[in-house]
Amino acid sequence: NDMSDITGQSAKDDWVPTSCALCYGSCSILAHRVDDVVVKIEGNPESVVGKGRLCGKGVSGIMTHYDPNRLTVPLRRTNPKKGLNEDPGWKQISWDEALTEIADVLRRLRADDPRKLTVQRTTTVSASRTPFLAFNAAFGTPNLSAAGGGMHCGNGAHLLSGLMHGSWSIVPDFQYCNYALFFGASKGHAAGHASASNMGMAAEARARGMKMVVVDPMCNFAAAKATEWVPIRVGTDGALALSMCQVMVNELTIYDEPYLQAKTNAPYLIGPNQRYVRDEATGKPMVWDVQFGAARPFSDVKAADMALDGDFEVGGVPCQPAFELLRRHLRKFTPEWAEEITTIPAANIRRLAADFANEAHIGSTIVVDGVTLPYRPVAAIAFRGSQGHMNSVYNFFAISLLNQLVGAADVVGGCLGFNPASNGFEETGRLAYKPHPDADGLMKTGTWMGYHLPYPIAEPRLPEKSGLQDLFVFGLTSPFLDSDDSEDLWQKLELPYRPEVMMNFGANLLMSIANKESVANSLARYKFMFSFDIFLTETSAFADIVLPDCGHLQTLDSRSNYPFIFSLPAGMGEWCWPIRQPVLPPEGEQRRFQDVLLDLADRIGIRADVNAAYNASMNLAAPYRLQGDRQYTYEEICDAELKSNFGPERGLDWFKAHGVLKWPKKPEEVYWRPFADVRVPIYWEFIVPVYEKIKAITEPRGVHVPPEYYEPLPDFLPCLSHQCKAPGFDLYAFYYRDILHTNSFTMENPWLDEAAQLDPLSYTIAINADTGRQKGIADGDWICVENEKGRKVKGRVHLTQAIHPEGLGVAACAGHWGDGMPVAKGKGVFFNDLLELDWEHSSPINLNLDLCARVKVTLEKEGKR
Amino acid sequence: MRWGMVIDLKRCIACYGCQLACKAENGTPPGVFFARVLKHEEGQFPTVRQLFLPVLCNHCEEPPCVEVCPTGASSKSEEDGVVSIDPDQCVGCRSCMMACPYSNRYFNDKPQHYFPEGPTPFEQRRTAGHQTDIVMKCNFCKDRVAAGKEPACVANCVTVARTFGDLDDPNSEVSRLIKERGGFPLHPELGTKPSVYYLPA
Repeated sequence: NDMSDITGQSAKDDWVPTSCALCYGSCSILAHRVDDVVVKIEGNPESVVGKGRLCGKGVSGIMTHYDPNRLTVPLRRTNPKKGLNEDPGWKQISWDEALTEIADVLRRLRADDPRKLTVQRTTTVSASRTPFLAFNAAFGTPNLSAAGGGMHCGNGAHLLSGLMHGSWSIVPDFQYCNYALFFGASKGHAAGHASASNMGMAAEARARGMKMVVVDPMCNFAAAKATEWVPIRVGTDGALALSMCQVMVNELTIYDEPYLQAKTNAPYLIGPNQRYVRDEATGKPMVWDVQFGAARPFSDVKAADMALDGDFEVGGVPCQPAFELLRRHLRKFTPEWAEEITTIPAANIRRLAADFANEAHIGSTIVVDGVTLPYRPVAAIAFRGSQGHMNSVYNFFAISLLNQLVGAADVVGGCLGFNPASNGFEETGRLAYKPHPDADGLMKTGTWMGYHLPYPIAEPRLPEKSGLQDLFVFGLTSPFLDSDDSEDLWQKLELPYRPEVMMNFGANLLMSIANKESVANSLARYKFMFSFDIFLTETSAFADIVLPDCGHLQTLDSRSNYPFIFSLPAGMGEWCWPIRQPVLPPEGEQRRFQDVLLDLADRIGIRADVNAAYNASMNLAAPYRLQGDRQYTYEEICDAELKSNFGPERGLDWFKAHGVLKWPKKPEEVYWRPFADVRVPIYWEFIVPVYEKIKAITEPRGVHVPPEYYEPLPDFLPCLSHQCKAPGFDLYAFYYRDILHTNSFTMENPWLDEAAQLDPLSYTIAINADTGRQKGIADGDWICVENEKGRKVKGRVHLTQAIHPEGLGVAACAGHWGDGMPVAKGKGVFFNDLLELDWEHSSPINLNLDLCARVKVTLEKEGKR
Repeated sequence: MRWGMVIDLKRCIACYGCQLACKAENGTPPGVFFARVLKHEEGQFPTVRQLFLPVLCNHCEEPPCVEVCPTGASSKSEEDGVVSIDPDQCVGCRSCMMACPYSNRYFNDKPQHYFPEGPTPFEQRRTAGHQTDIVMKCNFCKDRVAAGKEPACVANCVTVARTFGDLDDPNSEVSRLIKERGGFPLHPELGTKPSVYYLPA
């Protein structure tokens, strides 16, 4: 029994450096290829993305690749009827037939109105989205969506991380942080950006002695490893954070005055109209200069002379510094008030606030690699759990204020954005970016992920996007592509066209957005849909044509981890640029989506536009810019990007041989905040005119946008589910991301499925043991979970002490019912079927869905499904 | 010398990376895990603790599995203390599975693969070679170790919770960790003297 996978057994034996794609972390991997079979996947120790070690998903990628259920030929539906119970009647067709039909549809559509094309993609290819961005831009549609991504994971998180940290996400500075407060986030302990790298860094931090306090309705993942688990009522994180701010500002009066003066808009004077008091000559926001005893433009005043407190009068107008307004605003959020809402005892809230404030060591500095820097070894971070609510903007805003109050933002030990500033690659001077100020001194990001920038906030207008994000300008992705009332909203808000064609890439939106009936109705409305897939999913059953894509071991990407704000680990270490390259050839008639998009561009006649869009999207330097309508291969495009960034000697061939290029980070890049003359908004003055403009568009058209979501300072606004008074609906159902699974995709992997079946929680419904017993429910019973509207899901109960008595926790995106992924079929619980999909359940500011559902549970009599 | 492993429970987050890296390394069939992760909770809400316990063959100094083996298939190496099974000598009587107090031995009763359609190219290469009707278990990745690598579960651990080394060498990292951090084996009262130690969470 030669069991171990060792090298040197065959003449055709090599290790190919490439990138994982089982989640959007895109860790760098080495694929061991022996006689054209991949026999092992290991982490690539040359790369900082994963640092040579992989989670269970990454090592299991072999079985996703070799799954016999993979699509190998293009398919066309023969049943014109589309619905949840309709069999598409798939028939094999040739690529030429498929692309001819698709190109005909797209050509006609583009001539008619290119906005009628909706492009939907899965989040697992977030790093590989350039080909879509290029195709969409060339085609001329503004409608790009990431299915459940955004309104589930980040419409609040990414907005606030962008506004406050210039990055897509935030993380504690694991190398130096001593006290990390996690609000509904598993970073370093399960899913998320740079997930595997963060797991290593978080473990090192725990071993070093970093205290970790985890606020979460459930004690799993981060909470399981915490110094202290703080059980909280689902969806009330914002109330806790606001109350902690109140304790710090008004009870303890501990906050970082010099930081607030220099790095935030805390000293900006605010008039009675909630707007900045501006200098008449320059238009700049004014601050009160305590040396001069007068109001002056912020840029003329030394930060230390800017008043943070007091009442002033400027030109006859009474005004206060923004911080004074924050201080007054916070007074109502007493710990006693918060206890009622969160169920966390007031004494504990005071203790947490005091610990956070004291551990910040306000005023201290530290030397890192010879550079003296501010040292604030505390961080409050948040992600999916706290932001998955209608009030996600305020929740995340309030949590973000904790860091701002103590100056623990992008300094040593504090809350870090993922790599918001980079000096770039020295040899070529490329890839340099950093946050910079607008005219008001507020921070604009140095780079971004697409969609619209987090700041400045765009001008609201009558929508051209079917998701209405150009009207609701704080939203990234939107529920209104698929919602029950989208037609009603489109009519009222005069959308000048209707979506007609969907191009789907790998997204299983039927499972990843909300209840399947609502999404199915919206999908059935499309006149034509084609889908790039590696499996037939529940969603591809609504497609007219399905195209067999290549998997992660068969494809190519010149930038598997760029931009650096997405999945490159934060903190000191190295900049690292890995690529993805084919290890194995396509099976059957599989083709890479990147090549197919280029083929389609040629067939439609938009190659010149696609080339121009690639030039822009990849920011190609002059000698490497794609010319005219020349028919470049995707290899040539990748080669151009690599040479453009790293010089003529480091093209695709160099990267195929070396896998990654890395260079050291400097302290001034990682801890950029003291070196950038930018401020972040602790008071959202800009929200006031935005609301006025939105209201001016919506109110006359019969859409009421509640003003309480658009205040310059955060409040606690309970989700709709919190207002349910129906008898028996006494639990707050929520979902979380399992460590073994990514979205709905990995349940088809038989190794991961096997591990998940052995895990007590992956496929079960977690209920507090005492709550369960009171309801006569025993561990292992089958129960029915029902929301207020009568939507039901069923599953097996796991009774546990490790969940809030009012909580009901389910691992996300399980419960497949389609036949295309037979390993996944019937496993786990389809939580999203409990989610309503309409205006009422969406955040009126950032379009985040209400992801908690008030439910009642009943025992299934048969003891089974 | 005596190969041993130390697993730091403070670092482990139960990501299952070890369990699945082991599966990939050894091509074990369905239901067979040379490395596994167990989960357990202790206490009452809200003072509850989650315990994650990665387990594998303990390569005991006094292995009860070796003692009961009627054919000599199970043996402990005099050279490095690794307990292994010679598949050519194993007759599949499963006495060792009964004897192992840690349940870390598996019976490979018949050729198995993960998809009903048949073995994947990976399994044809990595799983089909495993003999059937015999008992299998972890051998501390002896082929990797011979090639100068760490066992797969050690090399892959994302939280760097696992350390592999010579327990007989008082200066080795494993010996140092056990001494400094109060390393303990599972069920020491059974007298099997495991070579796998744990550091407290």
